[in-house]
Amino acid sequence: MSIRPEVFHVILLLGLASLACRLSGFFLMRYVAITPRVDAWLRAMPIALIGALLGPVAVNGGLPEWLGLATAVGLMYWTANEFAGAIGACAVVALMRAAMA
Amino acid sequence: MNDSDEPAAQALPASWAGFTWAGVVDGARLGLVPAPTLIAFGLAVGVLASAKGLSAMEMALMSAWVYAGGAQMASLQIWTEPLPVFALVLTVLAMNARYILLSAALRPYFGMLPWWQAYPGVAIMGDANWAITIREANRTGLADAGFLFGSGLVMFIPWVGSTAAGHLFGQFLGDPRRLGIDFMLAAFFATMALGFFRASRSVAPLIVAIVVAVAVEKLVPGPWYLFAGALAGSLAGAWAHVDKT
Repeated sequence: MSIRPEVFHVILLLGLASLACRLSGFFLMRYVAITPRVDAWLRAMPIALIGALLGPVAVNGGLPEWLGLATAVGLMYWTANEFAGAIGACAVVALMRAAMA
Repeated sequence: MNDSDEPAAQALPASWAGFTWAGVVDGARLGLVPAPTLIAFGLAVGVLASAKGLSAMEMALMSAWVYAGGAQMASLQIWTEPLPVFALVLTVLAMNARYILLSAALRPYFGMLPWWQAYPGVAIMGDANWAITIREANRTGLADAGFLFGSGLVMFIPWVGSTAAGHLFGQFLGDPRRLGIDFMLAAFFATMALGFFRASRSVAPLIVAIVVAVAVEKLVPGPWYLFAGALAGSLAGAWAHVDKT
């Protein structure tokens, strides 16, 4: 239940790597003028991240994952509630996995 | 490019609220929306850490200091004694490289603030509250660094707590895959996709991001695909951009 020194040092290092990633983008953009094209680049970031996250999930997944993604989008469309969409999607994935196991 | 289907709020925020306590409270309220998905994911990470021989204190320290679900999950998967330090650091960098891009995207909203208002929120942001902050700033036309900080704070506490709880009580949870918990983050972002998608300018970034992420995931070991997909997709957005005259 304690913290071993070697684990402490590794976690320290991993945390610094993590923090550097979070701070560096914001810091470096200090030196970049936000032209309309740079603005378009930054504005495309959310949808690009979503695509990068979901693409491999869809390609590597099967029927449960496909139905899960469809449920998330569908529930969000009908209820406008992210929580309902996410929980509903996970329930569909769990049920489908159980059904197909 | 025709932008007529977009509300005026898609322009840069009309005003900058700076850092307000009302924003912190608002952020804390809306930041609670993804908390259940975060907690479920945290439990799964805690179970894995316990299986890999980390103590509960080590788990809590890692969650508080590294504070990145995907990176912790990925690094715990390769966690063996003696610790492969170089591979662990590389895994965290690969998984978190996307934060370089995400935090860069916050510059138009918070770049004009003094550092002590902007950086605390940037230092504790996660994918979910980052996305919610941008969505709200676009919707209200008001960029408030307090919102980023408040929404980050309400994710930080459940994250540390749930990973520790998963470590301590994880054996009662069973296989997270069976409960669909590994699908939580994907499900949350699928719901967010609807709010960010604009027919006039999201098609190219979305398709390029998917194609590049899928290809890199197959070809390059480690979780670099997130960074590669987000970078390529967002650049496609810049490339497709046409200045309005």
